[in-house]
Amino acid sequence: MMRESGRFRLTPLGLITFFVVLMVISPLLIIVPTSFTSTGVLRFPPEGFSLQWYIKIFDRPEFVDSFWFSLKLAVLAAVIATLFGTLAALALHKYRPPGSGAINALLLSPLTVPSLIIGISALLFFTRIGLAGTFTGLLLSHILISVPYVVRLVLTGLSSFDYTLERAAAILGAHPIRTFWDITLPVIRPAIFSGMVFAFLTSFDNVTVSLFLISPSTTTLPMAIFNYMQESLTPLVASISSIMILLSLIFIFILERVYGLDRLFGSNSHSH
Amino acid sequence: MSKLARNKVWAALLLLVPSFIIIFGVFVLPMLYMLMISVREDGGTGAWTAAQYKLFFQDPYYIEVLWRTVRLSLWTVLACLILGYPVAMYMARATPKMRGFITFLILSPHLISVVIRNFGWVVILSDNGFINNTLLKLGLIDKPLRLLYNELGVVIGLTDSLIVYMVLAVATSLYAVDASLYKAAGILGASKARMFFSVTLPLSMPGIFAGTTLVFSLAMSAFVTPALMGGTSVKVMPVIAYEKMMAAYDWSLGAALAFLLLGSTLGLVAFFTKLVETKRHKEVFSS
Repeated sequence: MMRESGRFRLTPLGLITFFVVLMVISPLLIIVPTSFTSTGVLRFPPEGFSLQWYIKIFDRPEFVDSFWFSLKLAVLAAVIATLFGTLAALALHKYRPPGSGAINALLLSPLTVPSLIIGISALLFFTRIGLAGTFTGLLLSHILISVPYVVRLVLTGLSSFDYTLERAAAILGAHPIRTFWDITLPVIRPAIFSGMVFAFLTSFDNVTVSLFLISPSTTTLPMAIFNYMQESLTPLVASISSIMILLSLIFIFILERVYGLDRLFGSNSHSH
Repeated sequence: MSKLARNKVWAALLLLVPSFIIIFGVFVLPMLYMLMISVREDGGTGAWTAAQYKLFFQDPYYIEVLWRTVRLSLWTVLACLILGYPVAMYMARATPKMRGFITFLILSPHLISVVIRNFGWVVILSDNGFINNTLLKLGLIDKPLRLLYNELGVVIGLTDSLIVYMVLAVATSLYAVDASLYKAAGILGASKARMFFSVTLPLSMPGIFAGTTLVFSLAMSAFVTPALMGGTSVKVMPVIAYEKMMAAYDWSLGAALAFLLLGSTLGLVAFFTKLVETKRHKEVFSS
């Protein structure tokens, strides 16, 4: 019964597994060929072959603009969240201040509340302090939802770090900054890097928080697609989605190579 | 406290300040402010009132929306459990390499925006979508099946995006099962069904419990999938909260709906936890 098998085996369990894997990847597998259709009908399998729906993206400035806007937002949110989250993780792990457990829970708390509710509360509060509909407001909220992932990843990266190495460096007369740069950083660099990529994707994919904080001049790409989809369903959505899928796949493969996706997901995380 | 220890605390605080500012300024304060708006008149400064909450519980429309949200979440949990459990069992019996491969395949779509995954489902499930086209061509049906823009569509979409949590939760609990238990059961002559019900299932209960609460909470607060795959007829709590906020500009009611959603989710999860604990308590003390 517990014989391990490396090859895929055609057992009832294997069949269900195959079906479930197919179910989660088929929506993505179907979009890409659909985008190359030469007709105006959204259909799988597509008819003909053309690049017209990729060329047509450029006729819709809202998609081009929101793409660059999303990219800018996600890069900024990822860099800032990575910096803040890494500092916080170092503080917790290295200095172990009183109440570390509570501080850790506080840092991860945005993950425990649905992002829809984070979005609504941010809209209400930002309206009061004059940040609603601004780039700053949107950026701050994206930093908030990314910081917990960075903290968790860097803490995991630090868990095996031996501080006697730092002490040895200090005894040998190394400056604390030099010690951090040459001793600590190389050990946690994969975790920090993965945190940054994950933070980027968290921001780049987000809809539920952005929903409440965008304005006509600050619209993200997923929001532009969401709005467009509610009015019309054309192969244009397929071509834009294919570009987003390609971009995300690049990052997913980087994550898998640097860190491993299974290590990335703890028991709790959500993106809806 | 020694000077060294005090210095350590100060250093830690200094490093924590940027994250604290973000958490307090963009999360803790806004949540408190939202609570104020929901329980006080004139945008959080006037007299105390429970009017928004009363309005919710006195209007059958809202009660129906809440019940629909709960019902769809429960169907999603059931679908995730029925489809996800066998996957977790398969993974538990596979080599580490195969485990890693399956984990990668079911996790990676998760890192692509839910808007795009739902769009893919629209292409598959719509009236002239892949499934209906195929069935029509094969002559198995003579008019398209309604798979989208109804509750079924929402459950399909939610199951697709949440099943990964159930699979990983159950798989983690199965990885921890001692393989010698199966050997012992086998030597004692247990059938495959007996092994499943006496060994696998009871030992995977913590995983089922974790997966269930996680999938349920996430399904309750999902907005994108009901909006894109449910159409205008399937209104759930997150969708009406959005409408009240962004279309009706009724922010007091929007804030109250946010808290009712959070409260009902936490309440039901607590109730479920209590139920499971009571059952376990009885099992331990009555046998």
